Amino acid sequence: MKKVWMVLLAVLGLAGLALAQTTVRVGVLLPISTVAGKAALNGVQLGVDQVNAGGKVKIELVVVDDGNAPATAVPALTKLMTVDRVDIVIGGLASGVTFALSGPVKQYQPLFLCIGAASSVVEQAFSDYNRFFHYHPWDYHNVAAALEFFKYLYDNGARRVAILYEDGPFGSAGIQTYRQQLERQGYTVQAEPFKSGSGSFTAILTRLKGFRPDILYWIGYDVDALPIAAQTRQVGLEPKLIYGAPPAWPTGFEKNNLSNDIAGMTAWLPSVANNESRRFVNLYRRKFGEVTDEYMAPMGYVIALSLGRALEAAGSTDKDRIAAELAKVQMDTPFGPLSFKPSDTGRTRFQGFNQSIWLQFQYLEGSRRPVFPPNRAARPLRFPGNY
Amino acid sequence: MLDGRLAYWRLGSPSPQTMELLLQTLINGILAAGIYALVASGLALAVGVVGIVNFAHGEFTMIGAFIAYLLFVGTGLDPFLSLGLAALVLFGVGAITYLGLIRPVLAAPELNQMLLTFGLSVALQNIALLLFGADTRVVSTSYQGATLSLGGLSFGVPPLLAFGLSVVILGALYGFLDRTRLGLAVRAVAQNRLAPGLLGIETQRVYLLAFGLSAALAGVAGVMLSVMLYASPTVGFAYTLKAFAIIVMAGLGNLRGVVPAAIILALAEALVSTYLPGGGGWVEAVFFLVIFVALTWRSWRAA
Repeated sequence: MKKVWMVLLAVLGLAGLALAQTTVRVGVLLPISTVAGKAALNGVQLGVDQVNAGGKVKIELVVVDDGNAPATAVPALTKLMTVDRVDIVIGGLASGVTFALSGPVKQYQPLFLCIGAASSVVEQAFSDYNRFFHYHPWDYHNVAAALEFFKYLYDNGARRVAILYEDGPFGSAGIQTYRQQLERQGYTVQAEPFKSGSGSFTAILTRLKGFRPDILYWIGYDVDALPIAAQTRQVGLEPKLIYGAPPAWPTGFEKNNLSNDIAGMTAWLPSVANNESRRFVNLYRRKFGEVTDEYMAPMGYVIALSLGRALEAAGSTDKDRIAAELAKVQMDTPFGPLSFKPSDTGRTRFQGFNQSIWLQFQYLEGSRRPVFPPNRAARPLRFPGNY
Repeated sequence: MLDGRLAYWRLGSPSPQTMELLLQTLINGILAAGIYALVASGLALAVGVVGIVNFAHGEFTMIGAFIAYLLFVGTGLDPFLSLGLAALVLFGVGAITYLGLIRPVLAAPELNQMLLTFGLSVALQNIALLLFGADTRVVSTSYQGATLSLGGLSFGVPPLLAFGLSVVILGALYGFLDRTRLGLAVRAVAQNRLAPGLLGIETQRVYLLAFGLSAALAGVAGVMLSVMLYASPTVGFAYTLKAFAIIVMAGLGNLRGVVPAAIILALAEALVSTYLPGGGGWVEAVFFLVIFVALTWRSWRAA
């Protein structure tokens, strides 16, 4: 009889704990067929596992694919809001897709935790929406970080920059401003557009030989990485540094010898030496059996952890109470400290990270290594590189 | 910088640098023409012999690129060594596509045929997306950045290899069409769909062969693209657009016109990219402008 009472008490105790636990359903809207989208989803799931393991709050994810296209993303968000009836959405990786979501988000009024979407056009679109938390730095933060690196290169003797930019919205937005800022640093700049995915760079690169650039800076997509690296050598351009700025790099590029010494910018690498980064790498390896170097994975992880903290503090599923607590969150992350402040332009109220999270890397011996800023570098920058 | 560019156009005896740049530009154009002609010849076979505008031609190229990539990752096989296997597999894919999808609609209106191949293109791209994701994948060979130098001119080894292989393959194709009974049967069917049947040529077999060869050529081009560019579900798209432009310029179904048209268009592309300020962004416009001029001139001459 005593045993029966004990079991009954234990069951009642567990039931009471479950009732006290705050449970919330969260929509995840990401391009899960892309490298960055899959990494982001893995990060969110890993963070949610950590939050749920704490036992105080419980997050249930409803994952939908935004197809990396507005035409898929808008109905997917509508489904999350009307069928799944979530109040919180994690998503917004690509700027174009997030811009298209701004209208429906304002219509359905969820708490929107934005993982990517660096374009300041998105900042403008969400300027009057107070449930918008933007974790990723804005494009002007990206430019500031890159310019700091270019100033360092100038101080080390670089004088001429050839910019190859894809002629779509991604590559050509702000190219004139970029050019002016480089010229203000003392560089001579020649900028040339190209068609992304065409694979034809020999003609442009041949002409650039006359310009003798110290830095070949290309702004395009992953499909352009190998052709540019190969054809730069084929025409004998011999810049001192090839610096690429695609949203993602091709799979297997690090194993290709042509990637050696090519530099780029990222927000995080597994070799970043801080406790939260090491902890993330270990947890990720344990859950997925591999190490990722996609910074969208820790970004998703950070979003889930910060949401968990806000939920815990709010003790409620009310989205406004959760938003109020999220605004107060201060935590260490794999990127460094996170807290929310108004954006630099003042357009949005809750901006997470800024240019300080960006670091410059170089492909060296088959992997990406942080090389700048010096206080975060794992290896010295190889400049001039051997192309 | 503009002054520098205008210097190319100044009258008088050209400087050695100017001549060198011009020669290098011409070489760039001609090397690019090889792979353009290879993709376009396959498409021209499908259009000229079978009478099908195959919008899925680029996806056959994509399959070739993935065969090379997967063999490279799985076995370490150099992509150029997988050319034969890719050609065989793609011939099979082409033959199955012909028997299962194309043959039933041969008598259907052209719009239906085009919708069918367009649907096949979308389906193949999405199957690739499901299997491999949207990632761009690259192979790694020792010669991808290799260069041969001759005087002041440089020749990238992969485009040179691709050009040489394209010449050999297209030479074999033309030899087959000119010197074998089966090849002559193919040409006969391309010229007239009814008469060869009356003379005892099995047109269905010829169609099957032509469509299979068309897919095999696309597959071989895909293998080359996997070395020079990448493998991804969309890798064939850009080259198929150019191939359509080339076969329109050559005259639909005119197999012999494909190589000259590919050379003209590739040279136009190289010249514009090199000499026009911001020319890299004008490449596609020039491609279609050349077609527009060719079609207008042709219709003006016929009038």
